[in-house]
Amino acid sequence: MKNRLKTWLIFSFLTIFTLLTIYPVLNIISISLRTDNAFQSKSLSLWQFDEPYTDTNQNEIREADELFTDINDNGSWDKGSSFNSYKTLFTDTPFLKWVWNSFLVTLVVTLTGVVLASTAGYALSRFNFIGKQFTMVSLLTTQMFPATMLLLPFFILLSKLGLINSYVGLIVIYSSTALPFCIWQMKGYYDTIPPALEEAARLDGCGRFAAFYKIILPLSTPALVITALFSFMASWNEYVVAAIVLQDPELYTLPLGLKSFQASLATQWGLYAAGAVIVSIPVTILFISLAKYLVSGLTMGSVKG
Amino acid sequence: MKLLQFIYLILIILSTGCKPVDNVITLNIWHQMLYENRKALLEVCNRYEAENPNININLTYRETEELRSNYQSSAMGGSGPEIIYGPSDQVGPFSTMGIIQPLDTIFEQQYFDGFVDNAVVRANGKIWMVGDVVGNHLMLIYNKALIQVPPKTTHELVSMGQELTVDKDGDGKPDQFGLVWNFTEPFFYAPWLSGFGEWLITDDNQPNLDTQANRNGFAFIKSLRDEYKILPKECDYETANALFKTGSAAMIINGDWSWGDYRDIVDFGIARIPMVSETGLWPSPMVSTKGYSININAEGRALEETVKLIRYLTSDPVQLYYTQMLNTQPSSKTAVLSPIVTENELLRESAKIIEVGRPMPIVPEMRAIWDALRTQYQAVLGGNVSPDKGARLSQINAEKQIREMNEIIQPGLQARVIRVIVPMLIIGFVWFLRLRIIEFLKKFKSNRFAYFMLLPAVAGIFAVVIFPFIYNIIISLSNFSLRTFRDWELVGFNNYISVFREPIFYSVLVKTLIWTSVNLVFHVSLGVFLAMLINRTLPAKPILRTMLIIPWALPQYISALTWRGMFNQEYGAINLALSKFLAMDPIQWLSQPTEAFSACILTNIWLGFPFMMVIALGGLQSIPQDLYEAARVDGASDWQQFKNITIPMLKPVMIPAIILGTIWTFNNINVVWLVSNAGEPSDQTHILVSYVYKAAFNLYRYGYAAAMSMIIFLILLVFGIVFMNKTKATDNNVY
Repeated sequence: MKNRLKTWLIFSFLTIFTLLTIYPVLNIISISLRTDNAFQSKSLSLWQFDEPYTDTNQNEIREADELFTDINDNGSWDKGSSFNSYKTLFTDTPFLKWVWNSFLVTLVVTLTGVVLASTAGYALSRFNFIGKQFTMVSLLTTQMFPATMLLLPFFILLSKLGLINSYVGLIVIYSSTALPFCIWQMKGYYDTIPPALEEAARLDGCGRFAAFYKIILPLSTPALVITALFSFMASWNEYVVAAIVLQDPELYTLPLGLKSFQASLATQWGLYAAGAVIVSIPVTILFISLAKYLVSGLTMGSVKG
Repeated sequence: MKLLQFIYLILIILSTGCKPVDNVITLNIWHQMLYENRKALLEVCNRYEAENPNININLTYRETEELRSNYQSSAMGGSGPEIIYGPSDQVGPFSTMGIIQPLDTIFEQQYFDGFVDNAVVRANGKIWMVGDVVGNHLMLIYNKALIQVPPKTTHELVSMGQELTVDKDGDGKPDQFGLVWNFTEPFFYAPWLSGFGEWLITDDNQPNLDTQANRNGFAFIKSLRDEYKILPKECDYETANALFKTGSAAMIINGDWSWGDYRDIVDFGIARIPMVSETGLWPSPMVSTKGYSININAEGRALEETVKLIRYLTSDPVQLYYTQMLNTQPSSKTAVLSPIVTENELLRESAKIIEVGRPMPIVPEMRAIWDALRTQYQAVLGGNVSPDKGARLSQINAEKQIREMNEIIQPGLQARVIRVIVPMLIIGFVWFLRLRIIEFLKKFKSNRFAYFMLLPAVAGIFAVVIFPFIYNIIISLSNFSLRTFRDWELVGFNNYISVFREPIFYSVLVKTLIWTSVNLVFHVSLGVFLAMLINRTLPAKPILRTMLIIPWALPQYISALTWRGMFNQEYGAINLALSKFLAMDPIQWLSQPTEAFSACILTNIWLGFPFMMVIALGGLQSIPQDLYEAARVDGASDWQQFKNITIPMLKPVMIPAIILGTIWTFNNINVVWLVSNAGEPSDQTHILVSYVYKAAFNLYRYGYAAAMSMIIFLILLVFGIVFMNKTKATDNNVY
């Protein structure tokens, strides 16, 4: 009984907290549904009904003296919400192309990230070699320099190498920005797996790589999932580097495309918000589908038991 | 010999075979046009491509500030687009840096004679840009449903504004305002200066801010808000726009670019900004042109074709097409006479407004003037400084910034010493490591497997990082800035000295430390706490877990802007909720320094906890349940279990996340920049990285910015090493 009460208390707390957390998201959704291309609104409700009015002078614009029915009950006339922004996004803009470009880049970056981080993390976790401490620290130091100051040298480097307007440059940079964290993450996880496991496998005649590949890797699913998720996030939403590397609109990734709706003092808020909502859907789906692996704590218990 | 001939033959065939392909020239245009204008530009370029099959035009859009900085980088790197399109004030810095070509020698005088004066942009006696539209000026735009005749004087403005500011539902807060506009931004304030009898820059390009006009202007805007109460308390561009569009504001001061946005939503009229009653002078909106400049790197045939394309893009038919599509004012003397222009009602009104306008100053020093004015103006509006002191300080600061911007440090003894010492240091370092290297080579074989696993990742990372890093070290020791953009030299430690000498560095550093520690404490504690709650059996667990991850899933630049909207004083969700549920007075989140900084921190906490939660979840999964069972059998309390099992077992996974989280938060420019709108109010919300960004890209002090980023790097390096030694994060496993 006490336990159930506790569960419900926790559940209600989490529900309230979650609602607070997603409020800004709802805000973005409501912007994407608005028809006046405005970023702000006095109304807090998500959906607004189209309020009919008597168009006395028949100019299809509602003037202050023209009567209306206040369906939304907020004292002011509202032009209703609609999915127009989403429709425009898919029909009038190369949105699907951006999605495809982003998907390609992200896929390669994620794969590279998982492969390189799982191997490098393993080396750092299991072996004592000269330069290990140095490698660990210098991996970290690569994150310490303010990224904005790297833009100018990046540009010079990439244009000397002829990698402007190419995904190669972008993919190398993205993989490298995500890697240091992923390697650390993997190392931390490997550290929690007893080395006795590989030793047993080695005794049974497994090679070093096979022991890693067949025994340790399958046990590291939660960490691999985080690594994949992280590499994915590092490239899916990245804008600043993409903006210097990709100048040909044909090659734009999603963030670049989305930002093109934004102009100083005249942003297409409807399209911008609609795009943002759609951009976050794949991430959410990814997380839902990977959550299963995250939860599968089955390995560790059984191994050590 | 035969072989050589054969190769030669193939080369000839190949080269001729390539000829037709070579004939097509791709011309790149970078621009910052608004969404609707882009469509018109694309249409015009498509037509040109159809008429000239050997030309291929590539259009790239970037937002104004970014266009500027990206173009600087690319022209610096020896490439970039052939044509750059933008507002005339970019000519100042670009021509000073030497990254655009003077047009005098490329076009003939007759060509320039075809344009109105404003549209041919000159600096230092040369022509650098040809404009295709004139305008970009501020005006009074009024909602015809609420106002029949717009106010002519400020007295009328105040009395009409008071009539039209009404509280319909009687909750003590106005639901309709007489006047709204982005009044905290100096560009939107500048017209009033001339209404009070002065201008912000003298004829010889010196700042002119310590004037009675500036004092009166400050006081006037403040009185509109505080005394006559016809302005909302907090009103940035987006708020003003939304209020006007929903009919909740009778008048707005905005530019000609907004017409398209209002067209189908509000029945609006335009007029001059009302005359200042005390002086009898009209406020002067800044009038500028937007136009085309040519990259310094364009040459040969590409240059020839570029010139032809610019002639076409500035021709009468194209300008008139823009007028029809977008209501723009043409820059060509003949196009202005066309009925398309003369019969356009908006443009007729607009011409009357332009009459009292003043040309936008284009010298690079304007940057410093805007910046100094913004800081003090916002401090005056925030009530922290008197108009008198604000005017005086803005003049002093502007002069100081201009001095810093134009400073050229000459290389002296230091530079020579550095040139000698650096190679010696490298040699010394190698000598110092010699034993380690020999040991490394000896033991390489036994550890081959480890190196083989490690190499690909490490090679990739360092390939990307090494060059930029060394480049930055060099720049931080150089005199790289506005005046030395293309011929900078090593000068020594001057930049480091000026960083440490400026008191602002220390205050920003303290803010950065507060920012980082507060964020990290909340990220980690919230993250671990939520992960532990979620890690038990709960109803709807997958849904909750997914929802909580969403802040991480959204693009940061969008959620940061949304939060800025939520912090608005009158309409933001946060103040609405505070007053509804906690009966609190609305907080001025965005116009007071402390509140604005807290707003940034709140936003970043929201953005950052899901990451830590996910990491902690992964870590919790790796803790074997039997440890807890054993603990329970031994009678351990929940707290003891948490302290003795959860924390030590989470440690190896959380430590790297905490170290990296600290570094990322320390260097997170997005949130601070977007939520506080680049350091507002009065540059009080900067952290080190945003300050670096401002120094480099707004004030062109690259060397200084590079030195500061080296200091950031060193701070984090020390932190990283100390923290790792304390937590033994690089040591091996818990087993």
